[in-house]
Amino acid sequence: MGDQSTQSSAETLEFRDATKRYPGSAKAAVENLSLEVPAGEICVLVGPSGCGKTTAMRMVNRMIDMTSGDILLGGRSVKQRKPSELRRDIGYVIQQVGLFPHRSIADNIGTVPGLLGWDKARIGARVDELMELVGLDDELRNRYPAQLSGGQQQRVGVARALAADPSVMLMDEPFGAIDPINRDRLQDEFLRLQALVRKTIVFVTHDIDEAIKMGDRIAILREGGHLAQYGTPADILANPADEFVARFVGADRGLKRLSLTTLGELELPQPNGHRPVLRLPDTMSARDALSALLTDGGDGALVLQQDGEVHGIATIAVLGGLLSEGRPPAPAPAPAPATADPEDEA
Amino acid sequence: MIAAALAAAGPVIPDFGGGGASDRCVSENASFCMDWFRENWSDLFVPALREHVKLTVIAIVIGFAISTVLALLAHRLRWTEKPITVVTGILYTIPSLALFQLLVPITKLSLLTAEIALVSYTLLILFRNMLEGLRGVPADVRDAARGMGLTDRQVLWKVELPLALPAIVAGLRIATVTIISLATVAAFVVNEGLGRLIFAAIQSDVFKTELVAAGGLAVAMALFADAAFVLLQRRLTPWVRARAR
Repeated sequence: MGDQSTQSSAETLEFRDATKRYPGSAKAAVENLSLEVPAGEICVLVGPSGCGKTTAMRMVNRMIDMTSGDILLGGRSVKQRKPSELRRDIGYVIQQVGLFPHRSIADNIGTVPGLLGWDKARIGARVDELMELVGLDDELRNRYPAQLSGGQQQRVGVARALAADPSVMLMDEPFGAIDPINRDRLQDEFLRLQALVRKTIVFVTHDIDEAIKMGDRIAILREGGHLAQYGTPADILANPADEFVARFVGADRGLKRLSLTTLGELELPQPNGHRPVLRLPDTMSARDALSALLTDGGDGALVLQQDGEVHGIATIAVLGGLLSEGRPPAPAPAPAPATADPEDEA
Repeated sequence: MIAAALAAAGPVIPDFGGGGASDRCVSENASFCMDWFRENWSDLFVPALREHVKLTVIAIVIGFAISTVLALLAHRLRWTEKPITVVTGILYTIPSLALFQLLVPITKLSLLTAEIALVSYTLLILFRNMLEGLRGVPADVRDAARGMGLTDRQVLWKVELPLALPAIVAGLRIATVTIISLATVAAFVVNEGLGRLIFAAIQSDVFKTELVAAGGLAVAMALFADAAFVLLQRRLTPWVRARAR
């Protein structure tokens, strides 16, 4: 158990033919799910309702026990561990947050360290550290959850899940109940946080846009918990495995793919004396840039680096051209090796 | 019994006479004689009040213990809720005097008889309130608690019972006020409590001062107990009012 969130532990998580069948139900909720989440990566389980994504997630910390198959955490079967002890080693964040209404924010965050028997001073220091990490004002320490906004409550939920430095985090639609503007901000914040803590995360959502934004890898599930495709967002958008995946990621998957690339990552033509009025930062996504260009209606935009240097000229023609390519735009992560379909293992 | 009390109180009533303003008030059996009440406060009313508190506290403590066991049982095993509700409901419905009479042949005119009856009236109220309180814990809070690795026992003690406190205290308030009033009738079987003075007053040609004083003390005791529970709940559950801050 590290004291520093920045030097935290993470373990590889592996589903091996994990299956859940409820008695009296003909179809399995999750059937032979096999996939591996490398340590420190976010794996998003996404799919329509009834696809078994939440069931799959809850089998990891044994909130739901598997019927057959196995899940390995750091190479060790979760079935060999006592549920309560296993869960203390796994961060757990749910959509409704589920903070304890009768406990102060500090006590909520210190729940798992308390269960693990840390002494008071250590818990207090850890709570301070986490509140700062997730961006909660220190004056909220002694408030009760009902006195916080929805966004603040979700931050407390994340801090509480990180408290004992778990090796894995499970997040079930953590931002689902937050309004769109704050959701976007929380997502960005969480990605920054994840860059620091590098947890292995299983993230459940029904929203493909959220999956593309949050996931290092996306597992698309279809009804009955069948894995339709597992791969990086770029890979899935460029090469949907079948009709179901193509429909699920949407007809605008080309546009979505553009959202994975920033202007700075593209090789753009140089201005050659042509000076468009519209200026865009090179940190903007190609999708937002295309949108800006379409709205502007002009003849292109000057893309500026952060130091003010000109990166190149973006035009509707250039960005639109990326749409028709059957592969991800230029320097995006190479798809081929990362595509290795874990289903092949079975 | 009244004779003993009167003897202790000095020359005041035996023949409703004897001289002094208070004695005149008493001999005319006015609606309330303050002087007589004052003179008899420590010898007559304080012991009766103490007995009444004792009758009530015993009934509430035992009733609370039994109801807690029943509520936890119904919380764990859903099917037990129905039978428990039916039995405690029947006990609650039997008129108090009838229940006393039913018990007397078995347990005689004793404190036990009185307490059995009083306890049986607390069960339904306390059981239902505690069960509702436990069931009222939001599902997401329970899910998060289990998901963080609290054992079933820890979920009960650290989450469910604390969150059920407002409902539990609400049940205690109702039950206590009910028992304070019912305990006056308990003097029918056991010569204790404020009911003892009320019966005595009725037997002495309806001695109004004693009747009004004993009844008034029972009302005051109920109000006091109710207020005490309200304060207790505020102390125990600061989070309930935190929203308004």
